[in-house]
Amino acid sequence: MFIHNFKYSLKVLLKNKQLVFWTLAFPIIMAVLFNMAFSDIENNEKFDAVHIAVVDDEDFRNNKMFSETLKSLSDGEDKVFEINYVDEEKAKKMLEDSEIKGYLKIVGSEPEITINSNGVEETIFCHVIDEIKSDSSIVQDLGMKYVMQKIRSGEYQMDFNQAFTEIADEMMDSDVSVKDNSPDNISFVMIEYYSLIAMACMYSGLLSMTLMNYRLANISAVGKRSAVSPAKKGGMIMGSLAASFLVQIIGLVMLYLIMIFYVKVDFGNNMPMIILLSFVGSLAGLSLGVAVSVLIKAGENAKLTALIGVVMAGCFFAGMMGIMMKNIIDKNAPIVNYINPVAMITDGFYTLYYYNGLDRFYIDVISLLIFSAVMILISLRGLRRQRYDSI
Amino acid sequence: MYDKVIEVKGLTKEYKELKAVDDLSFDVYEKEILGLLGPNGSGKSTTINSILSLLKYSSGTINIFGKEMKPDAYDIKRDIGVIFQEVAVFQELTVYDNIDYFCGLYISDKNRRKQYVEDAIELVSIGNYKKFYPKQLSGGLLRRLNIACGIAHKPKLIFLDEPTVAVDPQSRNNILEGIRKLRDNGATILYTTHYMEEVEQLCDRIIIIDKGKIIASGTSDSLKKLAKIEEKITVEIHRLSEEFLEKAKKLEHATDAFYDGKMLIVSYNGGKNNIANMIDFLRQNNLSYLKVYSERPSLNDVFLELTGKELRD
Ligand SMILES: Nc1ncnc2c1ncn2[C@@H]1O[C@H](COP(=O)(O)OP(=O)(O)OP(=O)(O)O)[C@@H](O)[C@H]1O
Ligand SMILES: [Mg+2]
Repeated sequence: MFIHNFKYSLKVLLKNKQLVFWTLAFPIIMAVLFNMAFSDIENNEKFDAVHIAVVDDEDFRNNKMFSETLKSLSDGEDKVFEINYVDEEKAKKMLEDSEIKGYLKIVGSEPEITINSNGVEETIFCHVIDEIKSDSSIVQDLGMKYVMQKIRSGEYQMDFNQAFTEIADEMMDSDVSVKDNSPDNISFVMIEYYSLIAMACMYSGLLSMTLMNYRLANISAVGKRSAVSPAKKGGMIMGSLAASFLVQIIGLVMLYLIMIFYVKVDFGNNMPMIILLSFVGSLAGLSLGVAVSVLIKAGENAKLTALIGVVMAGCFFAGMMGIMMKNIIDKNAPIVNYINPVAMITDGFYTLYYYNGLDRFYIDVISLLIFSAVMILISLRGLRRQRYDSI
Repeated sequence: MYDKVIEVKGLTKEYKELKAVDDLSFDVYEKEILGLLGPNGSGKSTTINSILSLLKYSSGTINIFGKEMKPDAYDIKRDIGVIFQEVAVFQELTVYDNIDYFCGLYISDKNRRKQYVEDAIELVSIGNYKKFYPKQLSGGLLRRLNIACGIAHKPKLIFLDEPTVAVDPQSRNNILEGIRKLRDNGATILYTTHYMEEVEQLCDRIIIIDKGKIIASGTSDSLKKLAKIEEKITVEIHRLSEEFLEKAKKLEHATDAFYDGKMLIVSYNGGKNNIANMIDFLRQNNLSYLKVYSERPSLNDVFLELTGKELRD
């Protein structure tokens, strides 16, 4: 029964032009379009430093990590920023007059960014600050370790300036190193590609939803036919899901091949992790599709709209249409990131790209697995309730 | 073995205030074609869906093959074939693949299934369209595919819910012919329709339902006796005065007559020479007419007699 359903599910999916377009062709077309748009930016216009302001107050001057790093990023040939050190009033004014793209204010030890639009340069600004912040937490960890070591070895008098230098040296040597923040390295283009992959993962929901709709008697006449047959629902659904997963993997392989060999995106040496992330991301997409099919009591078109709506909202909150949204969410409603599978996927990619530790990456993977499990469980509960297919 | 293939007792299905099916009880016997005849909205589909455990009904019991029918009664489902009112096929699969897919839910042996699929294709005569996709088929051919998908696994009991709705006469005859063949091969059939000609041609026994209730049942002939008329004579005539209409009503054995501007229709409750008498009556009065013909009463007359309204609107 499994094989029979698997075989025909595959036929159904591959013959459905709309599905093939959205899940297989659309991400590839987007990748190629991104490539055209971005190669223009990267080749023709030499990278211009981003004009920003920093609120030059006590907190900022005390935060060595930020003040030093920003200083080093704002001089030399390929400087990232053109920085105005001003007071808050002035920074606000400059932003209003569009003299700068945004400004940074350190409150306590937390960076606060103010921007008022969503362009590429704002994205770069936010990401660099994010990165410094994460690096500074690495430094803090190392600093703690350093202090503990000293204390254990009986040294209570410390020269903190010297300590900072030693830590910095240690970071350069160890594999936990602060990344080089040159423009090549912060490629905002990668952010777009990551969002694209995340979207492709979530679109696998279209595949599973289409097949599930065919399985449910309250949605489709075909579902009624299956319901009066002696074939058990479980076997049919498993066959359908396996077929959806296969089609999804084919789509992702094609997308990666195009990205790596044609668009020439550099995924670094993290390929196994990236594959793992794409797998669990697709699983999350598939289970979301199942849940929408089972739980939303509406016609096929309404379900399609609901699914695409959920995915697009996820992409939006994860910063696909502009990084400002991601910052707002990170700051004001971090809970959204814990229930937004798109954010989990893109965060996984960012983590691979920017941080060298894998802990946060695994947290993302596990969150995606939990998300999938929850979707499947509530769908199963929904299916059980429908002992009668209540057409 | 079991004589009664389906036993329905006190089946009631309520939608809020509406009783779509109201305390329905009937049996279907082995190897008969039972027709469920009723106007739109009378509860035919609701009855079938309840029998199939697709719907949770409010009360009543349903036994099939002597066992209680439930959503997980897989051994019963194995021997049932269903053709729903809506066409239920995959748009993405060819005619052949659709039949093979649904047949495969019952028959896992590949060779046997291949033969069964071919048999089904032959039964509804769609051999020339095996590689077509559903949207390339005409309405009639699509209905035939719909039927093939429901019966390919050679079920012992077949439900057909208005399989001929919106179908051209050629496909309709083909479908009715196919259904007769299925019965001749030993299947028991429950057939719903609102076309009385179909049940008259096809069914061994008929149940007439209205507003979810059985209003009459029996063979076509026994039902027609309920109409209380034996013969109906229709005369196509262009002009007829009130005076002659009154005279027509007083013809021997006539029970009623009416004229709608084109046709004079006279009902009789007996008599052997009614048509000859009618022609004499027309000649004697110098009434020029186009055609005269005699009909046996139809199930529509039965329905009219029992409910005071026409079966078809
Ligand atoms: N889901 C539902 N909710 C509320 N009322 C319903 C529902 N399904 C059917 N009905 C009502 O139940 C009654 C019987 O409907 P049913 O579909 O069984 O009629 P039918 O005899 O099959 O008619 P048709 O010849 O049009 O197919 C109708 O009045 C219909 O409006
Ligand atoms: Mg109906």
